[in-house]
Amino acid sequence: MFLNIDKQKSNSVALVDSEGNRITYGKLAELLDVVGGQARPHSLVFSLCKNNVGSMVGYLGFVEHGAVPVTLSAGIDDKLLSTLLEIYTPAYIWTPVEEEHRFKFKKVFEIYGYALLKTENELYPMNENLQLCMTTSGTTGSPKLVRYKKGNLEANAKNVADAFGWTENERAICDLGMQYTMGLNVINTHLYVGATALLTTHNLLSREFWDYIKKERGTNFTGVPFSYDILCRLHFEQMDLPDLRTFSQGGGKLTEKRFMQLAEYAQKTGRRFIASFGTTETSARITCLPPELAMTKIGSIGRAIPEGELFLVDENGKELTDTVAEGELCYKGPNVTMGYAVCKKDLMKGDEFNGEYHTGDLARRDVDGCYYITGRLSRFLKLLSYRVSLDQTERLIQQEFNIECACSGTDQRMNIYITDESKKTQVLKFISAKTGIFRNLFKVFVVQEILRNESGKIRYKKMDAEYAGKGASDEHIIS
Amino acid sequence: MDNLKKYNEIMMESFQVNEEQLKGLEYQSVQEWDSVGHMTMIAMLEEAFDIIMDTDDIIDFSSYEKGIEILKKYNIGSLCYDG
Repeated sequence: MFLNIDKQKSNSVALVDSEGNRITYGKLAELLDVVGGQARPHSLVFSLCKNNVGSMVGYLGFVEHGAVPVTLSAGIDDKLLSTLLEIYTPAYIWTPVEEEHRFKFKKVFEIYGYALLKTENELYPMNENLQLCMTTSGTTGSPKLVRYKKGNLEANAKNVADAFGWTENERAICDLGMQYTMGLNVINTHLYVGATALLTTHNLLSREFWDYIKKERGTNFTGVPFSYDILCRLHFEQMDLPDLRTFSQGGGKLTEKRFMQLAEYAQKTGRRFIASFGTTETSARITCLPPELAMTKIGSIGRAIPEGELFLVDENGKELTDTVAEGELCYKGPNVTMGYAVCKKDLMKGDEFNGEYHTGDLARRDVDGCYYITGRLSRFLKLLSYRVSLDQTERLIQQEFNIECACSGTDQRMNIYITDESKKTQVLKFISAKTGIFRNLFKVFVVQEILRNESGKIRYKKMDAEYAGKGASDEHIIS
Repeated sequence: MDNLKKYNEIMMESFQVNEEQLKGLEYQSVQEWDSVGHMTMIAMLEEAFDIIMDTDDIIDFSSYEKGIEILKKYNIGSLCYDG
């Protein structure tokens, strides 16, 4: 069975959710057949995900029975949903009953607050290895999907569980959305070892969240950088969390200061802090930093997970063989997906990645073989023909002044957004000196807030439109 | 500036609402009062009143009225609010 669910102790608890459901492995194995059998094999199912039992039994059941789920957020906006419906014409929709009103299709099955709706769309052929599809980034509004092949999710579950040392005693706090690669990976890795996934739809700033994880004795937590911004704001180092043993990070780079703070907290309290790195195209994690290195390898994403291999290539795609090197981060392993889809026909396509994925991220490898993300290939500007990394510039400013900062722009001018007005002149001087580029090619905007999406990623386009749009003159300060 | 006024201004600025909308304003009742907005608002309050709020208070800060009640614990005067 998928993820070996039928091989676990049948009376151990597999899933708990914040709506009061508790499902053992034995029951889950039964449910997979009951739910999965409702959809025809080789059919596409749009799964509107929430972190609860209903959503999970759908995903697991469909995969087990050879239907192909497309994981979407239950909160997906109408426009993107209708675009996706039009492009991919799914045979079924798996939706929370409270979202049913968004569709006019016939309900054929209902369980745990989820309904299976049958559309009138005809089935069409898909690649026989296709197992699941996921959007690349939930909030960009792009209908582009990543195509997972059979074996991807299980390979990643197994190898990440191995790298993190998970056992059946773990009780994982699963608040990251299961429609995204990281959130799904946290759940899969724990099911794979027979542990308990504590699913929740409550967010970190709610009373319900903390009551839930205390009551359910959560032993590990996985957060994106924004989760840790919230936790630090909540002074979590003073919280009484006797069961929490491990906390892990992924889904974006922490600032060095935050990384250090977390590593120190872990050391002081006898816990484990594990930084990691992954992409949707590689079914989530490809690296992690062993917790015992957290204090000495600040900011590192660590080394490849078992069965995976990391390497760096230069601009010409040539592998860099020196121990210490910097180039584009690439990965080979059984969790590399097949490629992308932008239309229905693409779901017929075979494996285009062939087990190797070039991340588009720049990374440095140190003498001990640990990797550090240093920037993104595409986030470069060419100012007076000098290549300037926007991510690096951002980090330089954040670290020098200990302030929030976002950089974007065009080859004519870099926009630097900061929220601290008192640093405006210094930032400009600093960055011009640091890069050796004329200061008029940078423009510093003092803004009220660095705009972020729900997963904490900076919304550069929106910031440019809102703050640096037409007619922003040198004297024009937005505050 | 009196403290209630200061508080109101922070709420209005954080969540892009006007004074009439403050009464009854709750977490997630407007788009701007999401987790990002909440963090911004707490940071502004801590700075404006020179306080460090307890975890429980940050979590329980679920509405405009609840916020007033919580801030009183930090000995911030003239936060009386008569509806």
